[in-house]
Amino acid sequence: MQNSNISDARGVHSPTLKSNRLKSTRIGSGIVHDYWSDLFAAKDSGKKVVWYNGTYIPPFFQAHDVAWVHGEAWSAYLAARHVEGDAQSAGESRGYDRELCSYARTHIGQALMDKKDLQDGKIDPESPRGMAISQLPMPDMIVNAYPYCSSGQQWDEMIYRLFDKRVPIFHVNVPMLWGGRKDAQYLAGSEMDDKVAYVSRQLRAMTEFLSENTGRKYDWDRLSEVMSYIKKSAELRLEAMDLCTATPSPASFFDWIVTIAHVNFMPGTQRLVDFFEVLKAEIAQRVADGEGAVPDEKYRFFFDGMMNWNKVGWLAEKFAANNACVVAGRYTHMSFWQEPQAVNLADPVPGMAHNYLACPNNSGAPYMIGEIDRLCDKFKIDGMVMHVSRTCRGMTNSQHLIVDSARKHGRAALFFEGDVADESFYKDELLNTRLEAMIESLDSRRAMVA
Amino acid sequence: MRAILESFAAAGADSLGYAARWKAEHGRPVIGSFPMHFPLELAHAAGALPIIIQEAEDPITDGEGAVFSFYCGFNRSVADQALKGRFKVLDGIMFGDHCVQLLGTADVIRWNDPDMPIIFEQPVSSLDMAWAFAETRQVYAHLKQEIEELLGVVITDDALRASISLFNRNRQLIRRLYALRIEGRAGLTAREMQHVVKSSMVMDRAEHTALLEALLAEIEASPPPAPQGLPVYLSGHLCQAPKLELLDAVEQTGMVVVGDDLYHGYRYISTDVPEDEEPLAALAHWYIGRNANVPCPTRADGDADWDDFLIRDIRRTGAKGLIVLVAKFCEPHMYYFPEIMEACDREGILMLKLETEHDSMPMEAFKTRLETFVEVARRRLAATPPAAHVQVERSDAEQQYQ
Repeated sequence: MQNSNISDARGVHSPTLKSNRLKSTRIGSGIVHDYWSDLFAAKDSGKKVVWYNGTYIPPFFQAHDVAWVHGEAWSAYLAARHVEGDAQSAGESRGYDRELCSYARTHIGQALMDKKDLQDGKIDPESPRGMAISQLPMPDMIVNAYPYCSSGQQWDEMIYRLFDKRVPIFHVNVPMLWGGRKDAQYLAGSEMDDKVAYVSRQLRAMTEFLSENTGRKYDWDRLSEVMSYIKKSAELRLEAMDLCTATPSPASFFDWIVTIAHVNFMPGTQRLVDFFEVLKAEIAQRVADGEGAVPDEKYRFFFDGMMNWNKVGWLAEKFAANNACVVAGRYTHMSFWQEPQAVNLADPVPGMAHNYLACPNNSGAPYMIGEIDRLCDKFKIDGMVMHVSRTCRGMTNSQHLIVDSARKHGRAALFFEGDVADESFYKDELLNTRLEAMIESLDSRRAMVA
Repeated sequence: MRAILESFAAAGADSLGYAARWKAEHGRPVIGSFPMHFPLELAHAAGALPIIIQEAEDPITDGEGAVFSFYCGFNRSVADQALKGRFKVLDGIMFGDHCVQLLGTADVIRWNDPDMPIIFEQPVSSLDMAWAFAETRQVYAHLKQEIEELLGVVITDDALRASISLFNRNRQLIRRLYALRIEGRAGLTAREMQHVVKSSMVMDRAEHTALLEALLAEIEASPPPAPQGLPVYLSGHLCQAPKLELLDAVEQTGMVVVGDDLYHGYRYISTDVPEDEEPLAALAHWYIGRNANVPCPTRADGDADWDDFLIRDIRRTGAKGLIVLVAKFCEPHMYYFPEIMEACDREGILMLKLETEHDSMPMEAFKTRLETFVEVARRRLAATPPAAHVQVERSDAEQQYQ
């Protein structure tokens, strides 16, 4: 059954899988598995639980020994297991419009409203859906820290209200870097300096919030220790990404996608560092062997937009089947601990704030697009694959402008419709047609040059 | 009275045309501002005409290639107007909202017209955080500095106080109109009330205030109009004005609007800037305080609930039903709508939701739904023992005017 799906996904004719995924990502799966297992047991082990949304602030939680639930990750977890549909229906039944962020609808719908059904005996607790719901520990605290996206703040306000305002909430404002001052540059200038100081103040206040709600003093030395692992992991990840300037590219966007969790919300430990060491070594070996993530790489693409979490394998095969390697992406290559050098382990907070502000969406379009263009040059990109993620407007905002700039730089582009966690927005045939057209266009352009 | 309302309607319908004429006449700059939380007083104190950028009536054409169709009509229309060169009359645009759609639209404008100065300063959106006031004051200090640099002027405290006082007076007069409407003494239609508020976002405030004073004097001297229909409350439509034909349809189907929390309505004029403190601090207090008066779903504030406010305000105004106007793809409204719906169910308030769009409004279907709503409301009222008296309480704002 799975093979037939994959054959359909590719829209082509070979009966075998063509994408050559990194083997070391399987090691990473163990880290993720253990994170969820630990989380599901958090209450049993006496830990307080914080639900959070937005940027990658778990080091603050880990240093304070509280467990954390990332709302987006929880929704992606459910979507990846194809159990998100009922949750979204539950959200709709309360009146949440399906044009709202599907992460939010999934999180609110399943983790909260169905929880009541579970308690009322309306859902079988032994079913896969029931298991998933019953395992999620309820929050003792809520933290919202969304760069750029207003929807993220409103989502957590809903969570706060669904718990009848009994669970304390804390907001970290991560303001946009508009870049209007005369000295503005990408992630530099007086505006950046001001915002780093502002976010740093709020992050320190957040540690007081954690202390107030746990009755324990915040351990700053522990934060530095946690950040030492995170910083090293981020450096290794970026070094491994840099190796993908090779042709053929030894890893693809889809390999980086399945390691997003690790740089986003996995605990900072030596195990995490070891994982990225192994990952980098595998990539380096592939470069030495001339082994590509797509064996017959003919085209190199950049993926723009949020990931379509229930289509990861499907899309990986579709592009590979067309000898296209999606080498890099905005979500994977610009979004998570991209500036590890900014983190001073003796005083990590300002560097962490710097990284949180570095969310690509959070920079004004001219600066963000300049960075995308730079990455596309670096990775020798032929074309842009623009995933128009219907309910994630933070990612779709500047896509027309990104394409405008890409075309000025001689790159082809296609748009395809989909969503982060609502499969119903995905239109496979449209992608097939547009991908075919873009490839034909690239072929004809190459023929003319030849 | 007719002439005043017509001048209000004309300014609201063609805000950029009004701005161009004002600019030619006065030789002073015009500053556009995005809704909904920016203090126009700062630009006014710098000698400029500040206007709230409005959704245009014409179909979206050029903007289709810049903003996706699943964005709200206001954003699509603003991008469309920018690409058609309509904002050339503006000497600058200022904004600071954190609406994710609006942030994208501002970038579309900058990308397509890099010469247009866009001042961006973002006040704190979570109003119950400890630093909200201090940070917002700091943001407004930056904003003041940027306006000064853009226009080559110095904004003195005295000038800012004078602007605050003028804007307060303008808001107070409009609130007086609202109070008269609740009391059944103002024979203004919902369309006309929108003309009043929308033009106050656009016109020279001194001119607008003088016209308002004349309008109020005339209304207060007139005999009260005859009762007109089922009293209802309009809620929603945040950044953009509801289409006038929709407001007409509400009244043509046997209802009279007695209250609203529309941005092109009471939300915009709900709150005055304190006049007894340092001006920038006063503006920061205004920004935070207005959310307590009329909660906004774009702000996070654990102490303010839109649904609770609505229930209170529906009772205050004596409305017998609630019509919620949701601009399609308006995310903050969509998040809070279930709470409003549940509050109405809990409190026994009849509610109708209408989802509006920029281009294709199913007016006939809307009319059918409005007629049904009126019918259900009347049956419900007929089945309910008559209340002794509809308690109409005055808001703090109205008492402040008194």
